[in-house]
Amino acid sequence: MRPRPCVRGGAGTPSAVSPQEGRFSRRGLFSLTRILGGIAHSVPRALGACSANKTCNIIRSRLPLASSTYFHTATVFSSQPSSITVTKEPDALFQRVSLLVKGHDKSVLDSYELFATMAAKELGIAISKVCELPKDTERFTLLKSVHIFKNHRVQYEMRTHYRFIELSHLTGSTAQVYLEYVQRNLPEGVAMEVTKTAMEKVPDHILKPMWEEDPIDNKLSQG
Amino acid sequence: MASHTSRGLLSLGRISASALGLQRPLSRVTYATNVSTNYSAGKTGLPDRGAGKFARRPRRAPGEPRTEKMPVDQDWTAVYPAAAPFRPGSVPLPVRMGYPVKRGVPPEKKGNLELIKIPNFLHLTPAAIKKHCEALKPFCTEWPSALDTDARCDAHFPIKAESTDYVSAGPSVRNPAARTVHLKVKLSSLNLDDHAFKKMLKLVGERYCRDTDTLTITADRCPLRQQNHDHAMYLLTVLYHESWKTEPWEAEKSVADMEEYSWEDSPSQRNLLDTLVRVEAAGEGGGGGEEVREQLLGRREVQEYKDSVTRLKNEGESESTVMLYKEAVKKVLNL
Repeated sequence: MRPRPCVRGGAGTPSAVSPQEGRFSRRGLFSLTRILGGIAHSVPRALGACSANKTCNIIRSRLPLASSTYFHTATVFSSQPSSITVTKEPDALFQRVSLLVKGHDKSVLDSYELFATMAAKELGIAISKVCELPKDTERFTLLKSVHIFKNHRVQYEMRTHYRFIELSHLTGSTAQVYLEYVQRNLPEGVAMEVTKTAMEKVPDHILKPMWEEDPIDNKLSQG
Repeated sequence: MASHTSRGLLSLGRISASALGLQRPLSRVTYATNVSTNYSAGKTGLPDRGAGKFARRPRRAPGEPRTEKMPVDQDWTAVYPAAAPFRPGSVPLPVRMGYPVKRGVPPEKKGNLELIKIPNFLHLTPAAIKKHCEALKPFCTEWPSALDTDARCDAHFPIKAESTDYVSAGPSVRNPAARTVHLKVKLSSLNLDDHAFKKMLKLVGERYCRDTDTLTITADRCPLRQQNHDHAMYLLTVLYHESWKTEPWEAEKSVADMEEYSWEDSPSQRNLLDTLVRVEAAGEGGGGGEEVREQLLGRREVQEYKDSVTRLKNEGESESTVMLYKEAVKKVLNL
């Protein structure tokens, strides 16, 4: 039995802030009521439209999945209408997610790049860079014969081709979905490195030095 | 001879089964070589070939491949719903692959091992990708539109935590390099005053890059990524609070410890003032003392000289700085 798919929903910061508004409060942004219910494709994704200090009160009605009957491709979910859980945990924000794909065959990487870029476009992810890094060749020379015959050798080489795809401005949920999709369809013989740059606010204990509230005796700091 | 005895054994086996009263309808299928009624139409085996040689069952001829019956507007996602090896009978394309013989063409797809070896993307056609993404869309969330530029992201979220995941095939899925966390902060976004900033620079040393004003803390010592992240945040906190503290021994900071060159109380200032005082004394013959020095300091040429020397020392030697110094010296000494 597969675990229920769970979405850490909610915008990290308000979606509509006018430039004249100046510094908005950093608190109270991450409150979303727990919503449980059926999901339908026709319901607009109103998660991003939550404004800063209001809590979302979207009630999703139970609608059957109309398109599941035409869905022949194998998917991660079961054919029953899956319920998406929206939790109060704030969504992580990734400024940059870069994929480095390595393989021995250039044509396989070409096809994979087409697939990854198309998937990103379909999911609405901004692609900032797609490039091909120069290949690495590892060569070594071995003796051809088992015994003696030092003058007769055989040379082998291993070529590693690279593809670099950089995506920008992804939320934690989107990144999780995209990376899982792309990694499940990674062909055999191809490796991938994913570098994620998560953005975080300055934590509360670094805003002000603690010595202002409770000044410590100088004697204590000695020794 | 051998076949005789085996047939005898056969009959024995059957009798024993029926004697025991066991009903084994399958036993008829396993000894099917003597019975011809189980064969489907289109067999090519001769009837007396089967007598005794039940190890070699005559095979039925393969029918025509599925590609002949495929309509042009079929749903390809149903043919290849998931990753599968290449099946020449299911792919209606005249693909050829392999190194050709002399004056020949690459071999055809039927029985071609090269096509089976290479990973295929037949299950990831654009139509399939669109279908997959349609199903995945409800699980994605939108990026907040207020953070559309990098500058805004840096203003609201100055701390960046970088980590790497590795996916590869091998005896183990784990990669020990996946636990490192790099924490990058711009010191201008932290609440630091002058003394705290200088002390912070001294504490971190090489981890600070002057050009980008970025402090990079790399945490590697814990076995899990979450632990390394917490450790890096702890280090940042400690650095911040320690840099605001003023220890009593910091009063012993000497000129050699200073990060930047300052002209006040430097040999350059002393030399210049001495020279100018002597020039004044030679010209007028009288006066002197502290007021003359302060007067000299207030002069514009002296200030220009001070600026040029400070620039030379702090920014290094370049054409512009050396020219500035030359002009300032000429003005001060009235050359």
